[in-house]
Amino acid sequence: MNFALFFLKRLLRLLATLFLISTIVFFVIRVIPGDPALVIAGIDASPGEIEAIRATLGTDKPLAAQYFSWMGSLLRFDLGESLMTRQPVMKLILQRLPLTLSLAFLGIIIGMLIAVPLGVLSAVKRWSFWDYFGMAFSQAGIAIPSFWLGIILLLIFAVRIPIFPLFGSGTLAHLILPALSLGFARAAVILRITRAAMVEELGKEYIITARAKGLTEKLVKYKHALKNAMIPVITISGIQFGYMLGGAIIIEQVFSLPGLGRLFLTGIYQRDFTLIQGGVVFVAAVFSFINFLVDILYSLLNPRITLE
Amino acid sequence: MKRTLFIILAFTLIFSLGSLFAGGKQEAKVLNFALSGDPDTLDPHKTSGTLTFQTLKSLYDTLVEPDMEGKLIPSLAESWDISADGKTYTFQLRDDVVFHNGDKLTSADVKATFERILSPDTASPKAKEFGQVESIATPDANTVVFTLAKPFSSFLASMASGWGAILPKSLIDAGHDFDTAPVGTGPFTLTEWVRDGRIVLARNPDYWMKGLPKLDTVIMNVIPERAVQVQGLLTGQVDVSYIIDKEDIPILEENPDVVVQNDLSALILVMSLNCSRDYLKDLRVRQGINHAIDKQTVLDVAYGGGEVIGTFMDSGNAYYKDFTSLYPYDPEKARKLFREAGVGDHEFKLFLPQNYELHVKAGEMYQDMLTKAGLNVQIQLVDWSTWLSDVYTAHNYDMTVIGHTGKLDPNGTLGGYGTGGYVEWYNEEAAALFDKAAVTSGYEERKALYDQGLEIMAREVPFMYLGSSYRYIAYRSRVSDFRMTPKVDTFDFRWTEVK
Repeated sequence: MNFALFFLKRLLRLLATLFLISTIVFFVIRVIPGDPALVIAGIDASPGEIEAIRATLGTDKPLAAQYFSWMGSLLRFDLGESLMTRQPVMKLILQRLPLTLSLAFLGIIIGMLIAVPLGVLSAVKRWSFWDYFGMAFSQAGIAIPSFWLGIILLLIFAVRIPIFPLFGSGTLAHLILPALSLGFARAAVILRITRAAMVEELGKEYIITARAKGLTEKLVKYKHALKNAMIPVITISGIQFGYMLGGAIIIEQVFSLPGLGRLFLTGIYQRDFTLIQGGVVFVAAVFSFINFLVDILYSLLNPRITLE
Repeated sequence: MKRTLFIILAFTLIFSLGSLFAGGKQEAKVLNFALSGDPDTLDPHKTSGTLTFQTLKSLYDTLVEPDMEGKLIPSLAESWDISADGKTYTFQLRDDVVFHNGDKLTSADVKATFERILSPDTASPKAKEFGQVESIATPDANTVVFTLAKPFSSFLASMASGWGAILPKSLIDAGHDFDTAPVGTGPFTLTEWVRDGRIVLARNPDYWMKGLPKLDTVIMNVIPERAVQVQGLLTGQVDVSYIIDKEDIPILEENPDVVVQNDLSALILVMSLNCSRDYLKDLRVRQGINHAIDKQTVLDVAYGGGEVIGTFMDSGNAYYKDFTSLYPYDPEKARKLFREAGVGDHEFKLFLPQNYELHVKAGEMYQDMLTKAGLNVQIQLVDWSTWLSDVYTAHNYDMTVIGHTGKLDPNGTLGGYGTGGYVEWYNEEAAALFDKAAVTSGYEERKALYDQGLEIMAREVPFMYLGSSYRYIAYRSRVSDFRMTPKVDTFDFRWTEVK
């Protein structure tokens, strides 16, 4: 199979995924109860006023007409206007994206900074104090909900010892505590993976060879074993990054951060159809596109993958 | 190396001293306000959101406005005159008002504003409030004459509400985007709006009330978590918070720098009963429900205290009449009434709006009390959008818990009851009384009509009337004169000062 055909197949798969997702989200949000016109009108409006609002929103048109007009604008890379704020959905998303992305990045970095050293230590000094500490830490990390940790961190580091701001946004200082509460739970998972990978590597034969060559224990563990053990750790951390975006919804609420999570949450509460559709398609497009790029890159680096 | 270090140190010192002096001379007066959510828009004619109108008060003005007693007083209009037949309203505008863009306020702006509200293109959710307007005339630059199709006694109250905000004609004609770039005559101008983050307002130096506002900057921080607002008050990062819960009061009162203030809200808290549903059609069942609830306890536990009401009007209202003695707490009597009506173990569905923590708490207490009186009540939690469409609009419910917000005029509260509505209650006599009161002028005359109508509502009980709750606000002691306009609850920072 040649590369061009492989490329084309992956591209078609990407487009099919996006088509399916945009269709599903369009119908799902219209099946659940709720009407954006009623949310705008509030509880005192007359039926005539509600009709007028529906007309300006375009939700009075037949479902098929709404669907095709939305699909049409998607083809032009236009996500439409939010029903509630009358702002372009793309603009709203791009305003919020930097904050949520930096929060997720910082979260995963904090997670790895905690998890990798502790995981390596647990593996190298198995059944020692550090190993048990690592185990206890990851149990706690998985069990403690991030919003609770967020509130506790606020109470300690923004109220008792006020070194971080209690609310607001715009500086790195505003992101540390939320990233910490996000990273904590992720660290728990990464720690377990690091330990397992490291233990596995240390048991392999090349380690014996390395030792037989007379290398120092330091070199054997931290150069040879650690390097190989990092491969699954990086993969898992990448997957954890996806979870971060989901977890950001709750954390943004606790820390009053104007990020993507709050935007979508409000959109769902208010039945802002175009905003929800645009948001889901945007996130799906980003993920599918990254997957697509990774597939292409893999096949360029390792032609065997193309053969499937 | 040493030299460089010295130069850096010297510069740091000079700069920090410099800023110290600059800061000491004339410190900007900044108020940090905690807002519990983000407004949907800053266009006063395209929203029905309470929070939005609360915020817009600082950016726009209306022709008349409510004072702290709820009485309507002059604002952009310095005087007005109502014709004897109640159909012509003549407003004299102030001569010294300029919009944020520099335009001088004239009668043309007022005319263009109301044409905008009434235009179907605007699709204003509040257009109905001005639906009686037949024509608007501008005999001179400072006079506006509204002619109504028929008398409408709550017209002036609509004028004083947030949706009557006056915009400049030049920008209306240009199709200006008021959603994000508000231009009004209000005491503050918009500096920055970070959606879901903060709204920063700057003092309008040309405001028509001389010497006001006193603050230079108001920062409205959007803080959705109440716990964070409370901690902000305790640490001084928040100056004013208006959504204080009863449970927060002890720790706030312990802090000498925080003042907690309470007053009676204009809320009408109820459990609405769908009068078209099985058994709820029966007056005895609705009466039984009113007997089954220990109202004061629910008010105290779920809503942080308040005053019990016996009809559909907030207890602090000038049109309130006391009917609380009709349905004293009496579970035995309730049980008897339910038995007489043959309710048996029929299941009633009680819908609770999940986003309103307090209504949910109250709903759980209602379920408990009704169960003890022998009624089978099942709770269903719904989100706000679902509540609006399924419960409020489609009437697909048996019972629900909600609070009706205050209105400047009783017609806003009572108009339309007796002709169905979301409680499906039909009573021609009450409907006729409310219709008549809407076109009658004079407090005494209207009060007599509303008294009769409210008595019918008290006897027929399409609701379980609970009460009006207290509202708690808390502020740092350095803040003085932060006002919340009664009934409409708008934030008024004009007189507010910080030390």
